[in-house]
Amino acid sequence: MDTIAYFNIILRLAIWFLLTADFSLANIIIGVSIAFLLPRSYTSPGKLKDWLRVLWEIVIAIPQAYIEAIQIMLLPHNQEEIVLERVKPQRTPGLIFLDIFLITFTPKTIVLKYHERGWYEVHRVRRGKRHNKDIERSSLMEKSNEEMTQ
Amino acid sequence: MDSILIAMILALLIPIYEAWQDDNIWQKMLAFASIATKTSIMMLFISVLRHDWSIGVVAIIILSVGNAGLMLLAHLIKRMNQV
Amino acid sequence: MIEILSYICIVIGIIFWFWGTLPLIGNRSVLFKLHSLSVADTLGSMSIIIGLLLKIPSEWSLLLLAIISLAIWNTVLGYVLAYCSSSGGNND
Repeated sequence: MDTIAYFNIILRLAIWFLLTADFSLANIIIGVSIAFLLPRSYTSPGKLKDWLRVLWEIVIAIPQAYIEAIQIMLLPHNQEEIVLERVKPQRTPGLIFLDIFLITFTPKTIVLKYHERGWYEVHRVRRGKRHNKDIERSSLMEKSNEEMTQ
Repeated sequence: MDSILIAMILALLIPIYEAWQDDNIWQKMLAFASIATKTSIMMLFISVLRHDWSIGVVAIIILSVGNAGLMLLAHLIKRMNQV
Repeated sequence: MIEILSYICIVIGIIFWFWGTLPLIGNRSVLFKLHSLSVADTLGSMSIIIGLLLKIPSEWSLLLLAIISLAIWNTVLGYVLAYCSSSGGNND
């Protein structure tokens, strides 16, 4: 049994106990048996160290999201751009999902697409005046496509 | 507390208006996603206001089942556009 | 004291709601509106629920579940909408 399976069961147990808020023995037995009986998929295991780092990043991401929200509110962010970001090597699908979640959670950045060969397409807003965004966007897309093929 | 509820209803009117006046399907989807979240938060707030937790449990079930239907609809619209 | 704090949280949440929802009416791209909606619907709603949590701490378990599921589902929906609308052909 690997780490993602543990997380799966922990998530189920957390939802069960938060929904019922009842710590009697019968309820605990019901919750644990349901968590183990529900079907689960098999995935490749990731390193425990990576998981711990990602969990820590989630804790950091919440105040950072609020800070970015206030920044967007106070200063006008009118420029849009599409950037490519590299996926860190040797990521399992679970970790990639968490990375996409983290990037999308902060208000300034949204993941558009995940390319199989190890790139995220990230859309972000920046400070500055708005100028002819369509031309800018299409040229950026072309450039990113060129980078992809190389 | 009542004034907060009125402010929430005003905020809910904005996406409803947007869903009515815009013809682009993706803008409509955005407005619907916004309506879904705002209504369930309002349900939670009303349940706190009236000290009635059966309303609140329904709101939380709606939140935790999530917008799965909207996601399915988004994929469906994408496929339809490709054909 | 806690009463005031909970009101502050709720009012901040409602300010976020209004700020993030008003750009919906203008004609910007879907992605730009998605950025402001993630401010409104995820962060604003989270702060409203935290305000309610300070008001009624006895129901912490349900409200905590609400915060977690709100954060996860809204973020995933934002990604799905961005992905589908950008590769579906029409961008604006």
